[in-house]
Amino acid sequence: MKLAEVMLVARKELRETLRDRRTLAIMILFPLVVYPVVSLATAQVMATRVNRSDTEVARVATTGPAALADGVRARLERRHEALGDIAVSPSPATADDVMAGHLDVLVEVVPPAGAATVPTARVLFDETRERSRAGRERVADVLAGSKEPACAPAYTVSAQGIAPRKAVGGYVLSKIMPLVIVVMVMLGAFHPAIDITAGERERGTLETTLSAPIARSALMAGKVLAVATLAAISGMLNLVSMSLTVLGGARLALDAPPLSLPWLNVAAALAVVPPAAFLFASVMVAIGALARSFKEAQTLLTPVYFLCMAPSLLAALGDFDLSGGAAFIPGVGVTLLARDLIVGHASLLGTLAVLVSTTIYGTAALVMAARLYDSERLLGSDDAGVPLRAWLRHLVFGSRGDRAGVAAAPAAAVPIAGTTTPTAGHALLLYAIAWLMLFAFAPLQAWRLGPGIAAFQWVGLLGLTAIYARGSGRPLREVLRLRRPSLASLAGAILFGLSAWLVVGLLAEWLMPAPKQVIESLRHVVSPSESGRGFVLTLLLVAVSPAVCEEALFRGPILRGLLSRFSPLGAAVLTGILFGLFHGDIWRFVPSALLGVGLSAIALASDSIVPAMVAHFINNACLLILVHRGLDASDGGTRTKVMLLALGVVGLAGAAVLLVRARQTRRVSGP
Amino acid sequence: MSASAVSVESLVKSFGATAAVAGLSFTVAPGEIYGLLGPNGAGKTTTLRILAGILVPTTGSVRVAGIDVAQDPLSVRRRLGFLTNTTGLYPRLSGRELLGYFARLHGMSRDATAARIDALVAALALAPFFDRRCESLSTGERQRTSIARAVLHDPEVLILDEPTAGLDVLASRFLRDFVRAERDRGKAVLFSTHYLAEAELLCDRIGLLHRGRLLAEGTPAALRAAAGDAPSLEEAFLRLVAGEAADA
Repeated sequence: MKLAEVMLVARKELRETLRDRRTLAIMILFPLVVYPVVSLATAQVMATRVNRSDTEVARVATTGPAALADGVRARLERRHEALGDIAVSPSPATADDVMAGHLDVLVEVVPPAGAATVPTARVLFDETRERSRAGRERVADVLAGSKEPACAPAYTVSAQGIAPRKAVGGYVLSKIMPLVIVVMVMLGAFHPAIDITAGERERGTLETTLSAPIARSALMAGKVLAVATLAAISGMLNLVSMSLTVLGGARLALDAPPLSLPWLNVAAALAVVPPAAFLFASVMVAIGALARSFKEAQTLLTPVYFLCMAPSLLAALGDFDLSGGAAFIPGVGVTLLARDLIVGHASLLGTLAVLVSTTIYGTAALVMAARLYDSERLLGSDDAGVPLRAWLRHLVFGSRGDRAGVAAAPAAAVPIAGTTTPTAGHALLLYAIAWLMLFAFAPLQAWRLGPGIAAFQWVGLLGLTAIYARGSGRPLREVLRLRRPSLASLAGAILFGLSAWLVVGLLAEWLMPAPKQVIESLRHVVSPSESGRGFVLTLLLVAVSPAVCEEALFRGPILRGLLSRFSPLGAAVLTGILFGLFHGDIWRFVPSALLGVGLSAIALASDSIVPAMVAHFINNACLLILVHRGLDASDGGTRTKVMLLALGVVGLAGAAVLLVRARQTRRVSGP
Repeated sequence: MSASAVSVESLVKSFGATAAVAGLSFTVAPGEIYGLLGPNGAGKTTTLRILAGILVPTTGSVRVAGIDVAQDPLSVRRRLGFLTNTTGLYPRLSGRELLGYFARLHGMSRDATAARIDALVAALALAPFFDRRCESLSTGERQRTSIARAVLHDPEVLILDEPTAGLDVLASRFLRDFVRAERDRGKAVLFSTHYLAEAELLCDRIGLLHRGRLLAEGTPAALRAAAGDAPSLEEAFLRLVAGEAADA
């Protein structure tokens, strides 16, 4: 074996592999973006959960001989005065109050018997409620300690769960099963979805199928139904198998009392399987149809699988309530509903909201899959595969999009000799590097917040954009589209900046309200008084810097790069999503992404980055003023909110009119 | 209502900046075998896929049994049998299961299906392998099963895309005999191949396709005469291509 031959083969294989842009994109994006984003979100959800259980006050009552019970009560009240995390009820109570949820913990004091010298404090709690579990730990901590240092404890503390065995079984199951059901349904859909799409292409039977006298929608519905059936069977088998495993595991565990399961509730949880199977089957079939081969379908679907799993994972870890917007988030709703059904807390309205919304999302994915399957490009480009742009265009516009694509093809931008215009690949690479910058500057921000933010923005983001411009051989001005905007677009941007924060903020509050401590930590960053910075310095840091540096990167090469591959609408939406994810906070994703879409639309409509910068600055400045004046903490009630929302919507509509006018004027007069 | 079973007028099909078919017109009458001939990349498969309603024409009109393919592709698919250039059989189904599936898709009754399948099994000698999975069949067996699938619903028009590719001499002969028999039953057969000798043996009329356009059209004898009494169809084709290059 000659080394030269080995190297020759390796070079050829590397060249071939690296020319496959999809493999490259997944190779870069997956480790750099998907994993950090998912793990960051998971960590945040976990932290929020811990914070929540820490801040919830434990409601406690005592019972037993009056003198002894008073002693316990006195101890608990001292803790209440010191930390405020225990509230002692003065009225008599029983274990039923704990089970009914009126109380979290009941302390039953028993006089010393036999050789014992101290009384026993039996801490009764409901082990199926998080709040009751947290309360038990707090109460046990207080009572297990001694009155004075170096003295013996005043009580023998024993904790005793009082929930019925079935409820405990349901609780244990609800912690693991919802995620497992959803994940296994997805896994059940994974290979069949590839087999009926890319597999069909690979086997050469696609043409036979397409020449059959059957409508594409019926054909695709049949295929999705087959995949969904397999996925549902997989989910149901897992449900049964896991229930039996939990039972068996509990029997094997030493000292554990026999566990029983609420079989009726477990059976009810099966209700989430069909809609979840339908949703994931439709999504995976739609994506699978994009691939040229089985291998490529696996490559494409793996990140999709992780992204589909992320909401379920967060829902399972986060201990959220199935209320408000949560029921309507794909993946989250079914996971939370499965949990609530198992523990027997599901409401009819919540159940309906999840089942109906998931079915609607599944139908939408099915329609997309059918449109895609209708595409002649599946056969028209056997050798080159389906171009992503064509795929998305077809997805959005159907066959009209294909015809438009044919007409639009020759109108591609003519590159200037020796220079490169941003491409979608550049955009994604820049985005991945920006994430690296975020991680690289994180220690500096942790050490000194202000200088850290400034360095990240001006050196990390703007510096990256400047280096990119230099590398592509074009002036930064041109890469950014730094040009004088029209009066109409500037006015539109100002109006957008004044209204967007209001609409976006209220929408996010309704869709996905952030926990109190997240808002508090954000306030700490932006509030001049709390951070010890002056107003002007804070304005420079949280309004001017992002307006210049984030806009330069996102509405500069990233937006322009994506525009080379996608329609303006597609590029704006994708840039918005990337912008939302970049804020590295699941609670800020929705508002940041919405804002990002709006800012991208402004940059495209005005063909200048200046209005987007102005709008971003005004948006952030408004929020800063709000915090500065302490207005953000005041809850004006539903009526005020609706009025503010209406005002914001009117403002946004005005901004849209001005921006559309600016775009039309620009078209008539030329760039 | 056109008397032609197939009518193609000024057909253009572009993929991006590339025109696969560039202004093609021809007709096929019932009881006629029309050969669409040309080298690889001439636009044969694209044309046949448009006829089968799988691809949408960029411009031009295509009618099968008087029905516009762009307007009503489902009705067209019910009236034609399409044999792809790969056999296109579902590997994990047996021939019997495959035909049963397509019979249901064509809306055939249970009795009609059983009678038709019996007839095809006899005509195409499918019995020895009819209940085996398609993935285990030889190339010739697959092609015969595939023909049975294409003619199952007794279509008015039969479109065969390079049906003899990869077949041995015996299987090719069998296929040609079958196509002639279908023609004699009044079916219109549109046949694409790049084996010119085969087309000469089989086709009533031939359209020579080059770079998406019809170079010449007529009976094999007429084409040879048009190319200056060429000794074979292959020679005629080469002369016509050379003539076009000189004109350009």
